[in-house]
Amino acid sequence: MKRRSYYRLPAGVQDLLPDECYNLNLIEKKLEEKFMLAGCSRVQSAALEYYDTYAEIKNKIPQKKMFKLTDGDGSLLVLRPDMTLAVARMAATSPLALPAKLCYFSNVWDYAGAGSYTIREIYQAGVEFLGRSGAFSDAQAIAFAIECLQAIGLKDFIVDVGHAGFFKGILQECDLDGDAVEEVRLLVNAKDAPGAQALLEKYGAPRRAADALAALPTLFGGEEVLSRAEKYAGSPAAREALDRLKRVYALLKDFGLEKYVSFDLGTVKDLSYYSGVVFTGLTRSIGSPILSGGRYDNLADDFGRHVPAVGFAMGLKRILIALERQGALRPAAPRADVVIFSEEGAETKAYQAYLELTAAGRRVDLAAGDAKEAETLKNAGMVVLKATKKGVEKI
Amino acid sequence: MITVALAKGRLAQESAALLKECGVDADVVFSDTRKLVLESADGQYAFFLVKPSDVPTYVEYGIADIGIAGKDTLMEEDKDLYEMLDLKFEQCKLCVAGYPEMKKQLTNSHLRVATKYVNTAKKLFASRGEDIEIISLHGSIELAPVTGLSDVIFDIVQTGSTLKANGLVVLEEVYDISARLVVNKVSLKTKADVLLPLIEKMRKKV
Repeated sequence: MKRRSYYRLPAGVQDLLPDECYNLNLIEKKLEEKFMLAGCSRVQSAALEYYDTYAEIKNKIPQKKMFKLTDGDGSLLVLRPDMTLAVARMAATSPLALPAKLCYFSNVWDYAGAGSYTIREIYQAGVEFLGRSGAFSDAQAIAFAIECLQAIGLKDFIVDVGHAGFFKGILQECDLDGDAVEEVRLLVNAKDAPGAQALLEKYGAPRRAADALAALPTLFGGEEVLSRAEKYAGSPAAREALDRLKRVYALLKDFGLEKYVSFDLGTVKDLSYYSGVVFTGLTRSIGSPILSGGRYDNLADDFGRHVPAVGFAMGLKRILIALERQGALRPAAPRADVVIFSEEGAETKAYQAYLELTAAGRRVDLAAGDAKEAETLKNAGMVVLKATKKGVEKI
Repeated sequence: MITVALAKGRLAQESAALLKECGVDADVVFSDTRKLVLESADGQYAFFLVKPSDVPTYVEYGIADIGIAGKDTLMEEDKDLYEMLDLKFEQCKLCVAGYPEMKKQLTNSHLRVATKYVNTAKKLFASRGEDIEIISLHGSIELAPVTGLSDVIFDIVQTGSTLKANGLVVLEEVYDISARLVVNKVSLKTKADVLLPLIEKMRKKV
C-alpha cells in the first residue's frame, strides 16, 4: 500500500482514536450533567467568523494567532480563535434574555500554537455566566470550576486565583504607553522581579508603583498573600481588587473549598479582556494549566451591549493527559457484546434479532458467514448467535 | 520528588555547587556516569543533564520542575516559564561585533548578521525597525565577517580575545547575560512547599 505524505496531518492537529474518544466522551458526559444541573444552556458558535470581529475590537487577538481564510467576496475570515469572545459576541448580538448561563463544547484554533503541548486545534468545555456581577458571582464561578474538576475525577489540583485590576491599578500610577505596559506585563508574568524593577527605573515610574510592580512576582501562595499585598494597594483600583479577592476568599472558605484555592497577584494573563478575578486550574500531573477563566465585565461592550460576566474554559486534551498520568483512563469498551452470524437467506431473521436485542440495551454486531470465529469471540466474553432459516440460536 | 534540568558542562557544575550550598543533595551531578537520570542519594531530587538549549524545553513541559540556563538560551528559546533568579554566574555579554569600519556592499542594502541566536537577533533588529539578513551558524561565528560571509556577528563575548586576534571589535553590548533559575509555571504552585524555601535559600546565596 502506498502511503503519501499528504495522508499525514498538518502540525498541531490530531485524530482521536476510539480509546481516547471513549474517555473524552466519558468526561463530556460528566461535564454536561454538571453544566445542566447548574442551569446552563448549551450553545454552539460558528467556527468561521470575520477577521475584523477579533482584530478591530479593543481587546484584539494578535493577528499571528489566527488561522485566516478568504471569503468569496474577498473578506478575510478566521477560524474562531477564542470561545469567550465568541460567546460575548453571541450574547451581545442576539436577543438573549439576561442573566443567562451558557456552556459549550467547542474547538478554538491557535495558529501559533502557544506553549508546550503545542496543539493548534484546542477542544474546550466551558461556561460563561452572563449578566451578573459581584463577589458571590465570582465565588460561584470558582466553586463551579472546582466542582467540574472534581466531577471529572481529577485528583491533586488547585485553582490559583488573582485579579486583573490589581496589576492594572498599579500601572495606572505609572503613566506608561501601551508597548511599555506589554514589556512590564511580560516580565511580571515571567516572575522576573529584577527585570521588572530595572525596566520601571528606566521608564521613571513613581517609587511606590515601581516597588509594587517589583513585588508582584512574589505575591503568590496561600491566603497570607492577601495581607502581604495590603501595602501595595495604593491606587483605588488596586484597593478595590484586593477587597474583592478577600470577599471571594471568605465565601470560598465558607463553602469549604479553601484547600483548593491559592493566590497569585502576579498572574497577568495575555488576554487583556479580563477585568476582575482571574483563575487558573493546575495539577501536578501536567506542566500546563488545565483550566483558565475570569471576569470580563466590559468585553461585550465591543459588540454593542454591556454584559457583566464571568466564565472559564477547560482544555480537555490536557485534562485527558493528566488523567492518564493519574491512571484514571481505561480502554474503550468492546464495540459489541453480542455478535449475530447470519446464514445466507436468514438475514431478515438476524436483523429482527438485532432490533430486539438493541432495544433491550445490548450492543450488537451483525456479520455474514458461518461463525468460524465463534470460539475466539466467546473466549473474549461475547455472546455469539447464529441465524438460520429456522431461527436464531446461541452457539 | 523535584526534577532539575541542568545544562551539561561547566554550567551544570556551578549550578550543582550552588544547589549543594542550599541544602540540595546534588553530589550525584559530579559523579562520572553514563546514566541520563541522576537521582540524589536521598531520593528527593532527580537531575537531567541536557544540552543547554533544551533546559527551557524540559522546564516548560514540566518534565523538569526547575532548571538553570543562561539568559542567552532563555531569550533564544522564548519559552513560557517563570524566570525567578539571576544567579550571577557565567556572566558575559551578548554583543554585535565586526570590523571597526564596516565595508558596505552596494548590492545588499541589508546588514548581514551571522549568529547562532537567530530568534533573538530577528527580534532585536525588528524592534529597531532595521532590515537584516540572518546567517544562521552553529560555531566559530567570528569566522563569518573575516571571510566575508557576513558584515557583523551577534554573539556571546566573554573575554573578547578571539575578536581581537581577528581584528574585530565589539560594536555594541546589547544584553547582559548570566545564569538564571527557571521554574515551571505549574510546579511553582503545586510543589510550592519544597520549591519556595529552596528559591528563597538560593536568592540569599546569590
